[in-house]
Amino acid sequence: MDLDESFSSESSVDSDEELQEAFAAGKLRPGLNLELPASSKTINNTAGLNQTLLTIKKNLPWLERLDVTSKPATTHKDLISQSETDVHDDFKRELRFYCQAQATVLEAIPRLHSMSIPTKRPEDFFAQMAKSDDHMKRVREKLVEKQTAIERSEKAKKLRELRKYGKKVQIEVIQKRQKEKKEMLDAVKKYRKGQKDKLDFLENLPGEKKNSQNKKSADNLRPNKKREFKNKKFGFGGQKKRSKMNTKSSALDMSEFNPNINQKKPGKTGKGKPKPGNKNKRPGKARRQKAKSRKK
Amino acid sequence: MRTLMPHAKSESKMDKKDQLFVINEMCEMRNCSKCIYLEAKKKQDLYMWLSNVPRGPSAKFLVENLHTMSELKMTGNCLKGSRPLLSFDQEFDKEAHWSLIKELLIQTFSTPNHHPKSQPFFDHVYTFSIADNRIWFRNYQILEEDGSLAEIGPRFVLNPIRIFEGSFGGPTLFQNPHYVSPNDLRHLMRKRGAQKYMSRIQAKKSLEMRRGQPSYETDPTDDVFVTIRPEDAEEDS
Repeated sequence: MDLDESFSSESSVDSDEELQEAFAAGKLRPGLNLELPASSKTINNTAGLNQTLLTIKKNLPWLERLDVTSKPATTHKDLISQSETDVHDDFKRELRFYCQAQATVLEAIPRLHSMSIPTKRPEDFFAQMAKSDDHMKRVREKLVEKQTAIERSEKAKKLRELRKYGKKVQIEVIQKRQKEKKEMLDAVKKYRKGQKDKLDFLENLPGEKKNSQNKKSADNLRPNKKREFKNKKFGFGGQKKRSKMNTKSSALDMSEFNPNINQKKPGKTGKGKPKPGNKNKRPGKARRQKAKSRKK
Repeated sequence: MRTLMPHAKSESKMDKKDQLFVINEMCEMRNCSKCIYLEAKKKQDLYMWLSNVPRGPSAKFLVENLHTMSELKMTGNCLKGSRPLLSFDQEFDKEAHWSLIKELLIQTFSTPNHHPKSQPFFDHVYTFSIADNRIWFRNYQILEEDGSLAEIGPRFVLNPIRIFEGSFGGPTLFQNPHYVSPNDLRHLMRKRGAQKYMSRIQAKKSLEMRRGQPSYETDPTDDVFVTIRPEDAEEDS
């Protein structure tokens, strides 16, 4: 039987003399030396492959096949090196494919031109495209969307930065002014007490006052919009007194009519008004007493 | 893929129960010499057969990382039916099985010259590159003649499983040793959880074994009434 023969042959290989010979020849490696069966996973029939390749190979002129074998060779060559590309590094991998395609294009187009074949599509050549116009429109929209999102976030960031900076500057200016005021008062005191004869501190008055007054125009000195509204509504006490006269104009005035309150049916808001907050969360007195007694 | 290849005749759905050699007959009926057969199994794995129909070799691949043309990140577009330029990595020439696959790919994907449905200009290029023992396919639109490209669809990765001598059958010429079937992969992933538990149990057992037996019996109450003689106690203080 074939099996028996193979077993016997294995035992002959494992015999002492042969092992010694193998060891002397340096073939054995440390560890338990077992004869493993040849892995059945790899079948590489190179000869067969080559033969079939020859049989199917069609020697067509290049124009029929348009294939180019190329190494990625462009300006980005220094960014990629063949041996180091890790398959999981997406950017490098895609860059390598891109460069390969570029090299092919750079080789193929001149070749086609030399065979006097037009490669570029003229502007007036209209034909069906692989992707429909609708699809391309969606693609373009998506790109534009991305662009605007980026711009918006940039703007927001800049605004935040500006506000922080502005706040800092404001604080500095205020402190400076306070310091100057203090110095001025000290100098005046000293003069009054007779320590200083010259009035030269009056000469170095900050000339910026003129510029800053330009800034302090009427518009900038107005209070907040909110403040203004509240002033109008509640300020000076007596304003309310004359606003409830029943004149023709006041009767026709609709500025204080809120349709959301007066025209809509009392639905959710009507029920929501008595706040279901505290009373529902906190149990009543009896319940609390019971719970207390039960705990103990 | 069909929109890209004007020289393709499609047969959309096929057998589930019929054998694979039925495909040979179908191709002969339609007068085709090459065939791409896509089969999906378990709604999860996609296999692609690439075959030279009359009696030539065929190859089976596992398709991974498939992105179709309709993804919005692919911004390029090309004429429907224009002939593609094919770009191959240099690794294809280094080994016999890659060269065979290369030849099959060339013959399948290149549109014949002056085919009635093809358009005359060249505006896209297919790249086939080898990385990690797999073939990566990309399709780029040629924007400028100096080489700026935009990606059109689709993109996929082919993991070669076997190459057969006949069409959809026959003796195996090449079997990929690096290929792990998706079933095996899923099996391994599930086993990993079990692995943690098993290794913990084994570690405990080995600790027990290594601990060793106590060399002699000691009684813990032996040193309860140990008294130090006053002469020795003085040394400490």
